Amino acid sequence: MTPSLLHPPSQLSPADALHLSQEAPAVLQGSPSTVSSSPLAALFSAKETPELWLKYENLLLSCLRTGDEQAAHQCLERLVARLGNNNERVLAFKGLLKEAEAKNNNELERVLKEYDQILSENDTNIPITKRRISLLRSMGRVSEAASSLVQLLDFSPTDAEAWSELADVYLTQGLYPQAIYALEEVLVLAPNAWNIHARLGEMQYMAATAPGAGGGSYQKYIAEALKRFSRSIELCDDYLRGYYGLKLVTTKLLNDTAKPSRQAEEDEFALPDVGTIERLNELATAKLSEIVRHSTAQDRGWRGYDAAEVAAAKELLSKDAAAVSGIER
Amino acid sequence: MSPPTYLSPEMTWISKTITAFGGLLLAHACYSAQEHSALQSLRAATVSLTTASPSVASLPADITIETVLATLILLLGLVLGTRPLRPIEWWVWAGKIEREGEEGFVDNDGEVNKDYIGNPFQVFETRPGFVDIRKQRKEFAEWVKNGGGGAAIRK
Repeated sequence: MTPSLLHPPSQLSPADALHLSQEAPAVLQGSPSTVSSSPLAALFSAKETPELWLKYENLLLSCLRTGDEQAAHQCLERLVARLGNNNERVLAFKGLLKEAEAKNNNELERVLKEYDQILSENDTNIPITKRRISLLRSMGRVSEAASSLVQLLDFSPTDAEAWSELADVYLTQGLYPQAIYALEEVLVLAPNAWNIHARLGEMQYMAATAPGAGGGSYQKYIAEALKRFSRSIELCDDYLRGYYGLKLVTTKLLNDTAKPSRQAEEDEFALPDVGTIERLNELATAKLSEIVRHSTAQDRGWRGYDAAEVAAAKELLSKDAAAVSGIER
Repeated sequence: MSPPTYLSPEMTWISKTITAFGGLLLAHACYSAQEHSALQSLRAATVSLTTASPSVASLPADITIETVLATLILLLGLVLGTRPLRPIEWWVWAGKIEREGEEGFVDNDGEVNKDYIGNPFQVFETRPGFVDIRKQRKEFAEWVKNGGGGAAIRK
């Protein structure tokens, strides 16, 4: 199935991105290049829809990714013709094109200077601020990117995308408590986002299993991870990622019950007893094997899962089965 | 393109037959009613010449019953032919997105609904505003070099 041009293309597989950009000439030909704003012309030409400009933006991203710069320039030209040279989004896309075409560090520095220039004229230009941060990150200046992100969040604290980026930046630096804090902010803004709950669980699991984590913080993180994965399943029926995490966490908890359980403080989430954890583990195993079975058989109504994720779940299940039979022997 | 997920071809066939039958019945009832009233008025015209008894312009019971029955059958056919309703519980709806993907959100023509966007919170993980285009290009070039492009181009 061809992916739609109406959704941001960054999570597409390379094959899908290639497919989209190969269709670029046809899409460009089939859509109006300019839309007149005069009411008389609007009577005779096709109606202008916001989707058209969204389509150009996403096509631009796909084409840049696959290296089809000519089509990308065409998309940008059309956006400029409609929205003007100084539109904030258009400015960001222009910068993106320059970033993609920069051949060495000097050119990247020049792009960065341009961003600074734009921001010195108008420092509330959020798309350009975001471009500047991601360029800094892309050039390896991660701590600078983090401090700029904090600044951005200072004046725009409801930007969930920026909080999520901050969490990712901190995670790459190994700053687990900060990353978890930032992701919790995303959840404050979007409390029903089941994938963010699962992501937070994953981060907490990583923090718990990181080499530096001591007994106290291990208990805290692993209990929180259990809670987050359970919440993600509560929000989304048959959520493969949530069940995968739940299985991982409960298996880990069951394997190291020898560790002394710390008395949880008042406002903290305490681990449930072993029986509950065992039942959760069984539930996760049953659900995961159901998902794997239906998904590999390509049953009707079970084809939405990502093949790589199903393969990972299969591997986890077989590893678990091997461990169980090893104990029995 | 696959047919609509829940509607097997057999189901649509049944619903279409029932709808057509109901429509036919309704048309017949209308025709009968029209004929009856024409006959009534003709008879009234001839009768009023001789006697002065007022004619009662009520329909016979069988035409009324036929109309009501036809409407019910028509309704049954249409209801059988509609797609299942969208889930209204959050976790069922979210689970449908994860489990079925686009397939769960097609209309009767087999087209994916325009308002389907998958997981709406996906953007918090993909973060299109912060896209690192140079990394994406590098990864794409790697993918092509490793022979990933060959299969896609052949397709």
